[in-house]
Amino acid sequence: MSERPTPDELAEAIEEFLATEVLPTLGDHRARFRMLVALNALGIVRRELAKLPREDDAEQRELAARIRTGDVPPDTLARVKADVAEKLLVASPHYLDRYE
Amino acid sequence: MIADMREALEAVLGPISEPVLLPGGASKEAWAVDAGGERLLVRRAAGGVIHRHTLSLRHEFEVLEVAHEQGVRAPRPVAYIEDLDGREAFVMERLEGETIGRRIVRGPVPEQLPHQMAEELAKIHALPPERLPFLEQATIERLVDELDEIGEPHPAIELGLWWLRENRPPAREPVVVHGDFRIGNLVVDESGLVGVLDWEFAHLDDPARDLSFSLVRAWRFGADDLRLGGIGHVEPYLERYNELAGLDVRPEELDYWELAGNVGWAIGCLTQAQRHLTGQDRSVELAILGRLGAEVEYEICHLLERQGVT
Repeated sequence: MSERPTPDELAEAIEEFLATEVLPTLGDHRARFRMLVALNALGIVRRELAKLPREDDAEQRELAARIRTGDVPPDTLARVKADVAEKLLVASPHYLDRYE
Repeated sequence: MIADMREALEAVLGPISEPVLLPGGASKEAWAVDAGGERLLVRRAAGGVIHRHTLSLRHEFEVLEVAHEQGVRAPRPVAYIEDLDGREAFVMERLEGETIGRRIVRGPVPEQLPHQMAEELAKIHALPPERLPFLEQATIERLVDELDEIGEPHPAIELGLWWLRENRPPAREPVVVHGDFRIGNLVVDESGLVGVLDWEFAHLDDPARDLSFSLVRAWRFGADDLRLGGIGHVEPYLERYNELAGLDVRPEELDYWELAGNVGWAIGCLTQAQRHLTGQDRSVELAILGRLGAEVEYEICHLLERQGVT
């Protein structure tokens, strides 16, 4: 599955926020220095992420298109729900506890 | 910039206090000012709109005027300003009370709040549509268009849309609806509902749809057991609404529109993330919604299961 924002897009959003909104508000020298180091580290993370192959979403595209045409055989929901649960394990793992 | 804004505001309101920008508000700025001994709020356009069907501030102001005049608990509209330092804006009364959903559901919740919500909805749905000729009618198909604009595959949302197409209840006569009536857009104090805010999504629609918006799990702010916005039970609310509106909205219609509300919000999350991704409005807060939409997709699956879908 390929989800947006991608890991790199998320890292980029964090980088922009820290550099443009947080850094200018830091008065303390040590805090400023450590923020610059943190931004450097985040840059490394982004370059590492850029080397990863983009995940393939062909299967999800095909499934989505099939459902759009009304082709919904039994057990479609079970499969879709399992896929969503898998996305949540990354995006918001504690959310699943709310259904217990 | 504040100086220009202040000058423009004083031309309309007379001498004012220093405007203070309030936090929150992804698509509109909110400034607190006082003038003539009154607490006022200036709602001003900001970056973008949440979706295409958002009302302009001029139209939102007109809806507020009609709603206030017809006795809906809503901030008193004061003035529309076409050009407030380069953007459109309007001034309204600044109501006192809590608007943060998480704090409202934490309680103590005023006992009469569910009934009051039903009462306000009945009044809103009785607003004369001929006074608001710019309001458009919304359809389920509009959601499909919004999803297609995003261009990402989301099978859970597709399943939700499929079920909504297959199980449509008989259409009710469209009425003026608020379009975003939920905890988070209501001002609440210890005596209950003080006012209804954020009229930018007002349109013409099935009243049961407006009635079901508060049921969407995301708008229960963690108090999942209380299906009505994390603050109460649905049955007394529905009963009171039917009594006042003279309708017979059935619980099954609420189930249907609750699912539609979730589908709408799942697409809304993706649309918000697009505002960041396309560069229209860069923000981590918007970006992360692209991923948190999976929570709403899970709820869609859960609700479909309860409808017997496998």
